[in-house]
Amino acid sequence: MPNGRNAAKRGWQIACLCLLAIFVPALVTSLGYSLIDALGPGPGFFPFWLSLIGAVLSAVMLAQTTLAKTNEGMEISLPDRRGAVQALGMLVALTAAAALFEPLGYRLTMLPFIAALLVVLGARSPVAIALTALAGSFGVFYVFYHWLKVPLPVGVLGL
Amino acid sequence: MDTLTHLMAGLSAALSLQNFAFALIGCVLGTLIGVLPGLGPAAGTAILIPLTFKLDPTGALIMLSAIYYGAMYGGTITSVLINVPGEAASVVTCIDGHQMAKQGRGGTALGIAAIGSFVGGIFATFALVIVAPPLAQVALKFGPPEFFALMLVGLCLITGLGGRSLLAGLVMAVLGLLIAMIGIDPVRGAPRFTLGIPSLYDGLGFIPVVMGLFGVAEILLAVQQPHRQVIKTDLASLIPSREEWRRSIGAIGRGTGIGFFLGLIPGVGSIIPTFVAYVFEKRLSKTPERFGNGAIEGVAAPESANNAYANAAMIPLLTLGIPSSPTIAVLMGAFIINGLTPGPFLFQERPDLVWAVIASFFLGNILLLVLNLPFVGLWARILHLPYQYVCVGTLTFCIIGAYSLQQNVFDIYVMIACGVIGYGMRKIDMPIAPLVLGLILGPFLEKSLRTSLEMSAGDFSIFFTRPLCLVLLVLAAVVLVASALRLPPREIREASAG
Repeated sequence: MPNGRNAAKRGWQIACLCLLAIFVPALVTSLGYSLIDALGPGPGFFPFWLSLIGAVLSAVMLAQTTLAKTNEGMEISLPDRRGAVQALGMLVALTAAAALFEPLGYRLTMLPFIAALLVVLGARSPVAIALTALAGSFGVFYVFYHWLKVPLPVGVLGL
Repeated sequence: MDTLTHLMAGLSAALSLQNFAFALIGCVLGTLIGVLPGLGPAAGTAILIPLTFKLDPTGALIMLSAIYYGAMYGGTITSVLINVPGEAASVVTCIDGHQMAKQGRGGTALGIAAIGSFVGGIFATFALVIVAPPLAQVALKFGPPEFFALMLVGLCLITGLGGRSLLAGLVMAVLGLLIAMIGIDPVRGAPRFTLGIPSLYDGLGFIPVVMGLFGVAEILLAVQQPHRQVIKTDLASLIPSREEWRRSIGAIGRGTGIGFFLGLIPGVGSIIPTFVAYVFEKRLSKTPERFGNGAIEGVAAPESANNAYANAAMIPLLTLGIPSSPTIAVLMGAFIINGLTPGPFLFQERPDLVWAVIASFFLGNILLLVLNLPFVGLWARILHLPYQYVCVGTLTFCIIGAYSLQQNVFDIYVMIACGVIGYGMRKIDMPIAPLVLGLILGPFLEKSLRTSLEMSAGDFSIFFTRPLCLVLLVLAAVVLVASALRLPPREIREASAG
């Protein structure tokens, strides 16, 4: 298990690699667009220079992070097991809600989403969970759809 | 005279029953956002944008502006009562505000914070009324090269002052600008970086990105932090004693001045004015040892600076189209959603809207004082709300906000992905503000650059032969060099790094 400082250094290195993984392909792709045309700078002009500058700076940052002798000032607090599980559970619930949002509609998606999320986050009162889930799904839908005229999806069941 | 006429017309519009209600709702929601730890003003303003979809642009912008400065104030309550800043600018208030609460003077701390915020906000709005029209007139003379250079100055300031590492700030700004290139090229109509995904033809939505980087990321961080205890303190006596007034009046005046002037500079985030105001008071004090132990000046000065900054930061946005912070960038996004481009032309094209919004700042500051003095106990009670319910409520609004903008589920996925990225960036202390500002300024920056080069038939000397443009470019370079040489005082760099 890495300590806070090592984790921070590793985190920065990973971030730099991710940035390079964005800037380098963007640089290659932007070469496929016209850099200069008859009217002046083309669609590829700005992305090309941005990608190039971004790639160079990311590489410098990666080298700087890797070669740094001290990790002073670089420390992160790593989540404990419970916190990590809750955060992961939240992301899974969010992704599932996004996947079901249009097929099931807002109300039928958010009802179990809210209930499940409350349980994952440690809420224990069944009545409070049920009431919150109902208010957050059917109640919020009513307010947004009918009062505020915000278009929220209605699913296959008409809900 | 013309300004006064416009302001009166604006006040009349802002005081209409409908707009008054929007300002009131905005202030209440904004204070609520500020009160709830883990939900900052940028995310809060972004997730509430869907509430304004069906409003006319004036009402929508009045409400969103009220949410913004309401959130800037609301953060004080959590700073004082649970030692957790509701938003970044309230970090400094924790130092003495929480000590005052521990000593049973929480009511006085919140009272002086409300009064200081009111004074700071009203002064800055008066200054906005005086400064904005002539500045907009000057900006009307700017051509594309000057606007390009001006935006570059803004980005350099944000990058230079916005964190511990200049290099990281630069990379994030460049990344933001590059992400802004996704979609159809506005000049030639060619798709760029769309990967064949139709949802990317309109670009990556600014609002889902902000909701993810700030809203979802903040919730992910919040579930890993222990729940804080709310301090039991006397909230009945909100009005300071005579001695406390004596100590506070000067601090409020100085804090207001500092907040206002720093608010005019694009890129100076909301933390720096509060921090500078606090340090200034401490250095000025004959008894600096009281600071950190419940000195009322330690609350009055940063809170006045905070609200003066919040209102003054609207000046670069309304007159030059330059957002000073991620929250102002969200407001700029709201203008764009409503078909308006903030900047000098807005004063010419929609003076009715601009002046109604400016006039609503006066109204909003009065409403905030009324909401925060007598009802402070009510806000304090909201702090007892279990965080699970706050998280779920926030995520529900995030989903609605991300989806309803274009009725596209793709935007929810973008928000989730940005939430994970934002969480990682917070964990390793990578600056987010330059990314957000690069994202919103990207299309404008590119358009100015390309129009400039079209004007000069591709000759870059256009940027160096126009005096104002040259001055601005030199200024941008000076900002970057000064940041590289670590010239901003250590305290300021550390404060802005959070």
